[in-house]
Amino acid sequence: MKNLMVFVRKEMLHILRDPKSLLIMILLPLVEILLFGFVLRFEINSANIAVYDMAKQTKSIQLVQRLEGGKRFQVIVANSMPEAEAMLLSGEVKAILTIGADFDQKAVAKMESPLQLLLDASDPNLASTLNTYLSATINDFWTENYPQNHLPIITELSQNGDPTPTSPSRHLATSLTIEPMLYYNPLLKSVYATIPGLISVVLMLICALMTSISLTREKETGTMNVLLISPLNPLQIIIGKLLPYLLVSMLNVAIILTLAFTVFGMPLAGSFTMLILVSLLYCLCALALGFLISTKAKTQQLAMMVSLAGLMLPTTLLSGMIYPIQNMPTWLQNITLAIPARWYVSILKHIMIKGSPIAAYGMDIFVLIFITGIIIALSLKSFKIRFR
Amino acid sequence: MQSFISAKNLSKSYGDTLALDDVSFQVYPNEIVGFIGPDGSGKSTLFQILTTLLIPDSGSATIAGFDTGRDFPKIRSSIGYMPGRFSLYPDLSVEENLRFFANIFGSSIEENYEMIKGVYTLLAPFAKRKAGALSGGMKQKLALCCALIHKPLVLFLDEPTTGVDAVSRTEFWDNLVQIRDGGIPIVVSTPYMDEATRCDRVAMIYGGKIMQMDTPEYIIANYQGSLLAIRTQERYLAKQLLSQIKGIDSVFTFGDAIHISLPERTEPIIDEIDAVLQRELSSTYSITEILPNFEDCFLQFMRQKSHE
Repeated sequence: MKNLMVFVRKEMLHILRDPKSLLIMILLPLVEILLFGFVLRFEINSANIAVYDMAKQTKSIQLVQRLEGGKRFQVIVANSMPEAEAMLLSGEVKAILTIGADFDQKAVAKMESPLQLLLDASDPNLASTLNTYLSATINDFWTENYPQNHLPIITELSQNGDPTPTSPSRHLATSLTIEPMLYYNPLLKSVYATIPGLISVVLMLICALMTSISLTREKETGTMNVLLISPLNPLQIIIGKLLPYLLVSMLNVAIILTLAFTVFGMPLAGSFTMLILVSLLYCLCALALGFLISTKAKTQQLAMMVSLAGLMLPTTLLSGMIYPIQNMPTWLQNITLAIPARWYVSILKHIMIKGSPIAAYGMDIFVLIFITGIIIALSLKSFKIRFR
Repeated sequence: MQSFISAKNLSKSYGDTLALDDVSFQVYPNEIVGFIGPDGSGKSTLFQILTTLLIPDSGSATIAGFDTGRDFPKIRSSIGYMPGRFSLYPDLSVEENLRFFANIFGSSIEENYEMIKGVYTLLAPFAKRKAGALSGGMKQKLALCCALIHKPLVLFLDEPTTGVDAVSRTEFWDNLVQIRDGGIPIVVSTPYMDEATRCDRVAMIYGGKIMQMDTPEYIIANYQGSLLAIRTQERYLAKQLLSQIKGIDSVFTFGDAIHISLPERTEPIIDEIDAVLQRELSSTYSITEILPNFEDCFLQFMRQKSHE
């Protein structure tokens, strides 16, 4: 135990003696979070849509004004259907909303009102997001103006911007209307999805980098041989390397979470203490992974390459951060089970967005502890106490 | 006398290269044993086996009764090791390095200050300086202090004087003698022949084998044959002429002279050399009989070995 504290003290000195590296370790995550946070967005802030208003009545003009008033759309008024279709074809607009001539009368008479939405589905993500936004806006307008009426949306998804309507008036069934309610993230803010993923990637890379470089440096300078011929055992060396960097990681966690809450407006629905504890557990897992890398890598350069390039892809692609895990083929889904970020992202969403009770993510925490244990065991096993 | 280190039939090869070939020897308490040989002769491999960093292909070694394979944790926590390359933390100060190496062995600078006093007095003015900013000689002194500070049972120094200036080397050997007198046996390797005479016993190692192991005085006294030194302005010509004379073991340049080794000292051959040089050289020359030094002995052993 005393040996361990001596080793930890030495590591702390290394960290403090190299303020430039410390600054990089702290600033790098900050810059990454800010850059990715602003760039990685899937919501539409201003998409052009064309409106062909055949009715030109008070209500229809109010509807157009409502659409124009929202920050999300740029409304271009079309004077004929061919004109609107030409705009869709050229890509100038991503959707066309056609308002039928007798729209108000039918609505008042509690009949179905002809509204047609044509979407450019060559970009499926954009089309479905636009569909959701437009439907939501029109729904709001409808419930305010015709409280007892069902909803009038006709949706046509056209491929490749080719707006050939297959059945010109495919009305919604009048007997049953499904009204989606969006829980936890009613505004479909994409930062809710991207920020937990980003936190997991940035912490993974920076933590793995710190320990892997620190241990390979001892190999390169030859101090590793001197450490081997001493009473220190591999477990003491591992813990001695992990503990000081866990302190640095705490600083990183603090900075990253502060950014998430302030700049990106992430909510905190659950327990703050749990958030910190789980983040530290995840950091420990990443630090141990860095240690494992450095037991195999001979040089600092190699360790850096593996920790950055080697961990970047699995963490971003297989954590469910960008691509939903449910959409992956089964064998790939099985691989994601071993990715620590997958479990951490899931826990983050539970704590930050949903505010679920601990029972909901207890299993995830357990898996994360299990993975960390395996990584430490593997590190111990592959830690060379001799040459060759 | 009971031996402190005992190695029996140690062999180690890397692929097809035989680095250590059936090496056996003993080291007794209170002696400095030097392993002398050129680069690649197997010194480092031997040191790595003795310090438990490498397991030999065959053979075994014990240090203070502990087996280097089975009892490696015991050996690791009781020996002092100074690798050939500077292997301390350059970003830590002199004092911090020393304190770290004392503390991981459960000791402290204050407790064992007597051990390093002789060496450390020179370093003390630089206690706060970063180890990376020290001169070569100072780095080596610090490394010695770090290997000594936990009061080891034995000191292993792998080429400690390589790359260090002549004055620092002499000081360093003075320090080693003090440490031995303090009761710690020292095993040291070096490529410098002139350091052999500072050891109590020397093992000449070449091609993975120990050619001979004895006191340097004995080795020099048992030089086979005799040595002549020839001084002339026309060294190149003289060397060519001499190599054509039969009955000479070898002719080689040594400093500003040419050394000739003869299987035995006989007047006829000296007369013949004199005659040849008299006839062919235009300038003056001198022939003197000299006493062999350690390097001559080493070269002779090496020649015998390559003739085998």
